[in-house]
Amino acid sequence: MAGVTHGLNAVADGVRLPLDFSPSTRVPLLPLVEPSAATPEVGSVFGEICDFYAVGAPPSVFRYMARDPGFLRSYWAATREAFADRKLDRRTKELLALAASLTAKSDYGVDLHLREVRRLGMSDQGVTEAIEVVQCFNTVTKIADALQLRPDFDPSAGD
Amino acid sequence: MEIVRIREPHEFPPEDQAFMEATKSWFKIDFVPKMSRVLLTIPEFGRAYGRSSRRAMADGALTRAQKELIATMVSAINACEY
Repeated sequence: MAGVTHGLNAVADGVRLPLDFSPSTRVPLLPLVEPSAATPEVGSVFGEICDFYAVGAPPSVFRYMARDPGFLRSYWAATREAFADRKLDRRTKELLALAASLTAKSDYGVDLHLREVRRLGMSDQGVTEAIEVVQCFNTVTKIADALQLRPDFDPSAGD
Repeated sequence: MEIVRIREPHEFPPEDQAFMEATKSWFKIDFVPKMSRVLLTIPEFGRAYGRSSRRAMADGALTRAQKELIATMVSAINACEY
């Protein structure tokens, strides 16, 4: 789940895809596939994506990926499985994807996953708490990296 | 290796010992993590940060377990070895 989140975010921010759920002035560097112009094969995948996110048009990252229909189909299948309810439920996974996107400073991912955690029923208090954890751990990981701290649990760390 | 020397727990003044004991009991461990000792370099900073972190990690609308997962995600994305 962290992997596909990072992959989608890298492309979406890199190609400057418009945000899906916030006002956005970003102009894509490459054209996206319009749902109305999609082939039946792409249209069928777009339908699954719209159901998954409860949206009328697929998020722009998937419209970008539709430039290569075969890639869209397989990467979408992987994304759907990565976010499926298993030992972690989908909402928890969306919350983790939000944390990953905030940490990676992905405007696109923050927009998408913040919308998803709210849509799936996360309270404002829950969102606030999650972002506080993200802030605290970005604080200590930065300090640890700056000082090149060896792990506490690494037997080779010594003292 | 660390670019600063990290003091051993016994080198800290008595007023910092409570902070380190609180850390041990919070994580249910029998040693003082390096990060706690680093944060106490400036105790006024470390104690305030510690309070904000414990508040952020406490059970609330999210469970502590969910919050630890989020923390792990942050560490993974930052590729933080510590």
